[in-house]
Amino acid sequence: MKRKVMWVLAGFVAPALCADPATVELGQKEEASNCIACHSVRIIHSQRLTKAAWNRELDKMAGWGAPIENREAVLEYLVSNFGDDKAPPALTMTRAGNGNPTQASH
Amino acid sequence: MLTLNRREILAALATATAARLMRGGEDEPPAILGKRPMILHNDLPEDLETPVRYFGTWLTPTDSFFVRQHLPRPRPIESAAFRLTVNGMVAKPLELTLEDLRRLPQYTVPAVIECTGNGRAFYSPKVPGIQWGRGAIGNAEWKGPRVSDVLKLAGASSAAYVEIDGADSGVAKTPDFVRSLPMTKALHPATLLALEMNGGPLPDLHGAPVRLIVPGWDGTSSVKWVVRLSITDIRNNGFFMNPGYRFPKYNLPPGTPAKPDELEVIEGMPVKSSITAPEDQSKVALGPIAIRGFAWAGEEAIERVEVSTDGGSKWREAELSAPKLPFAWRLWRLNWQPSDPGYYTILSRATDSAGRVQPIVARWNPSGYLYNAIDRIGVIVEKAS
Repeated sequence: MKRKVMWVLAGFVAPALCADPATVELGQKEEASNCIACHSVRIIHSQRLTKAAWNRELDKMAGWGAPIENREAVLEYLVSNFGDDKAPPALTMTRAGNGNPTQASH
Repeated sequence: MLTLNRREILAALATATAARLMRGGEDEPPAILGKRPMILHNDLPEDLETPVRYFGTWLTPTDSFFVRQHLPRPRPIESAAFRLTVNGMVAKPLELTLEDLRRLPQYTVPAVIECTGNGRAFYSPKVPGIQWGRGAIGNAEWKGPRVSDVLKLAGASSAAYVEIDGADSGVAKTPDFVRSLPMTKALHPATLLALEMNGGPLPDLHGAPVRLIVPGWDGTSSVKWVVRLSITDIRNNGFFMNPGYRFPKYNLPPGTPAKPDELEVIEGMPVKSSITAPEDQSKVALGPIAIRGFAWAGEEAIERVEVSTDGGSKWREAELSAPKLPFAWRLWRLNWQPSDPGYYTILSRATDSAGRVQPIVARWNPSGYLYNAIDRIGVIVEKAS
């Protein structure tokens, strides 16, 4: 029984094994606060990139004014969750929108 | 065997749970006013892809037309307050109202708009950017005055470029959305300032009240929410012209960076076809099956679409819809009756009026632009029960 529990846990923590969980969590918190001024997190989470490519994206975003405070933590979070070795996510559909499309709300 | 202390397990579980919640995005997917359910790539600003099952008609209905926005959408502009500035190398700088634009001769052009990154998800190795599949494209009827008529009103000189500014602007240091269009293309009779889309008012999501339409060129050329046209001698050098929306002059080994001085501004689009039915990896009953799709070729017209149902060994010519036009797509169809159940790899390959043929492998590039490889789907044909 104990062995089974450990394997279940191992499955949960697998993405974080090569990264320090606290660092990854810090990176995630930073994403939630500092990456959403210009776009939603969905556009990040739908990508699967190498560490080098994520690094270049962080350079680009920093250049555009994103306040990245813990760069290493953000990078570790991105690579451990959205690395190019991860399966692509399932597609999400919007809900049906009714009404006049010429006056979309903001 | 893996062993972790209690603190590590709790921290990892918290991370995994939070990551799952975040992966689902923002709790519940939004409803987008005036749109059917669309594939959601970005919540704010909305980046929406058309599911292939909506592509059954020559004109893509406005409520299922894809949406790409680089920057937060500008606040809607009251019709009476709208002004289009025309300045730069002109004899008479102008501030045109919507009424002024409506008084000019109005033209209707059916044209495809395709995001430059449509099909980016098919590139390997993966590249950053919205992971569009087949649906960042649509064919609509656009109506409005010609850009050439507006330039004539202002007495524009024969300078090299028209610079176009959309009302959308950046956040923090995000660059403003400004593009330059070569004068020759701006003066083309099909290049419009669209006020209408598919016979109705241009929706806000699609650039109301005025959107540039540059038929046969990549979608990013067709600037939305246009507020300024400036006649210039030099090409704008902002991000959305350089290095954005440029393509390597020489083919790169996949996964390698481009040399900045060997990137060229994208003008025009390659020949391309997409399969819209059956859907990739779907199950179909043994019997007559209609394979359908669309094909387009930028400024050229589609000449031929061939389809293979055996992974590319034998090819048959598909039936094409009329009319045969530059800028607009043609729908195609092949009636197929497989004799056996099983898994089939179906391919489509288009040829255009200039003799261009879709390649087997698209040219990999670091931004994932202009994907146009022969399209490929798999279907499982099952015995009828």
